[in-house]
Amino acid sequence: MKNKIIKILSNRVFFLLILLVVVMIVMSIISPYFLNVNSLITMARFGAVLALVGLGQSLVILAGGAGIDLSVGSMISLAGVMFGFMVNAGMNVWLAAALTVLVGGILGSVNGITVALWGLPPLIGTLGTMYAYGALALVMTNGVPLSGFPESFSFLANGKVFGLPSQIILVVLPAFLILFFIMQKTNFGRWIYLVGVNENAAQFSGIQVKRVRFVLYVISGILAGLGAIIMSSWLMAARPDTGSGMDMRSITVAVLGGIDIYGGVGNLVGTILAVIIVTMIATGLQLANINTIWQLAVLGVILLGAVSLNQVFVSKTK
Amino acid sequence: MNKSSRVRPYIPKPSRREYFTIIILVIEIIIFSIVSKNFLSANNLETVLRNSTDLAVVSIGMTMVMVLGGIDISVGSALGVVAIFVGWMLQREFNPVLIGFVAVLLGTIIGVFNGFLVTKAKIPAIIATLGISNILRAAIFGMLGGSWLTGLPQVFTLFTKGHILGLPAPVILLSIFYFIFWVFLTYIPAGRHIYAVGNSAEASTLSGISATRTQIVAFGLLGSLVGFSALIYVGRLASVEITVGNDLAMASIAAVVVGGTSVKGGKGSVIGTLAGVLFIAIMKNGIVLLGIPSLWEKAVVGVLIILSVVVDLVFTQRSERQKREQLSKQRMAI
Repeated sequence: MKNKIIKILSNRVFFLLILLVVVMIVMSIISPYFLNVNSLITMARFGAVLALVGLGQSLVILAGGAGIDLSVGSMISLAGVMFGFMVNAGMNVWLAAALTVLVGGILGSVNGITVALWGLPPLIGTLGTMYAYGALALVMTNGVPLSGFPESFSFLANGKVFGLPSQIILVVLPAFLILFFIMQKTNFGRWIYLVGVNENAAQFSGIQVKRVRFVLYVISGILAGLGAIIMSSWLMAARPDTGSGMDMRSITVAVLGGIDIYGGVGNLVGTILAVIIVTMIATGLQLANINTIWQLAVLGVILLGAVSLNQVFVSKTK
Repeated sequence: MNKSSRVRPYIPKPSRREYFTIIILVIEIIIFSIVSKNFLSANNLETVLRNSTDLAVVSIGMTMVMVLGGIDISVGSALGVVAIFVGWMLQREFNPVLIGFVAVLLGTIIGVFNGFLVTKAKIPAIIATLGISNILRAAIFGMLGGSWLTGLPQVFTLFTKGHILGLPAPVILLSIFYFIFWVFLTYIPAGRHIYAVGNSAEASTLSGISATRTQIVAFGLLGSLVGFSALIYVGRLASVEITVGNDLAMASIAAVVVGGTSVKGGKGSVIGTLAGVLFIAIMKNGIVLLGIPSLWEKAVVGVLIILSVVVDLVFTQRSERQKREQLSKQRMAI
């Protein structure tokens, strides 16, 4: 019986589901406004960008080799600024959005080249681009937000599709489903795990390890580009510091979601559950009028608690 | 027993990588002194040093942790928390020696706690210190409560603005710190163990070195240095803002990496780190002197980080190839 409980708890998805229920109960006790449709919709809107970059971060970490992408926040900022410039130059908003996704991919491919192809340590390579992209976004705008987006563009972050937040239905859900399908059903998805578990074995079985990792950095960039568009629609402005803090938060949700920092273990469902938990805590505390600063502390405690608990469970099941 | 039979300790020599960093530092200084007249003035150089004293001190500790293959993202938030305590004690006019003691102690406690999380709870260093960083950052907001500590008594000003024996205080301070830790890492067993564990935790354990204790010591020392840097910070600015230490962790990691420490552990030295700190500090200063908007600062630093590691990679790949060629030659001879 005891073994069974440990086994269930050591399954990260179950663990997160239980945590989710606990958080929901605690939050609805703290704030009576927590469990109603409106605040749930706001919450979903709030978590959209974090979900996107969290997924990208998860993939990069999953493929092992100390993979990490510190530049996601700066990529959001820079891609957003590019988007702002394109729209201000008179380009159609939706065309500009499509190009912004491409920009994200290009920014990500720089990480892919330096880290995956040249073999720079990921921590350093992406720290470099984090600095470079962030500074570039500031330089291009002189630190002033770009605005002047057409009203219709607001639909993406503030509108509804089938009564649900449009950014979730139109962007986050499709992105998640596509990635989930790739992870579960395609060869490429299996390669990611194999590369993460044992890159030598992967190499010997004919998998292009470098190429797999390269693609994942590009995907992380593309997702950051999508995040930049949603952020621009949400704020109706392109701020050069939109993405600040996203790097650490995306790592937090990936790790909380059960992605092993050494690669090879984890599941995108876990990441999404972690995003939901983190977003619930953030909005819940806001609704309860508790200073948002405490989210950081709560997040830190949950992160440390979840990872060390996991270590305990893993060592017990072994 | 005659003298020669005693085992002489191996003294690591500065590597090619360190010489390289020092050479590009010298080239940088030459270029800036040609391009800008103000660069080589005593006043300007003193400013450069003064503004990076705390970074330089923290980077010593970061070097040790990174030689162990670890990392500490929480140094900025830790410095902030300690700086607030220092500010409070200054406002209540505590004895400066006592304040200094408490600051270093607080820093050490945070560092040792990080060390425990990494070794005992077995949480990867980047995650553990990220979590602690979040908690401490929240503590900073909570402790400051929206208002800054300003106009603090200038008790620790000596560390950055003072002069000792006619030399700027930062020069003396950094010389002492870097010398002590160079000796520690080169000659003292506890310091040398850091390299051993960084190279191979398993081999070290088998030869009787406790990897756990070494890691806790390194994180603890980093914490002490962070605590001391909080004194320098308060002395330099006479205030504590809400953004205190926001960029410290990344800046220090950058300096250590530019200085030639490998993120994979086992390689690196405080001398290289000092060169890395100075290189980045002088680059920032040069950017300002040349009249380039300071917004470019971080872009340049970012590119520098990548370049320095690319150079490092080229070096190691070449030396590995040479080793392989030597090996195959030896085989041919046999």
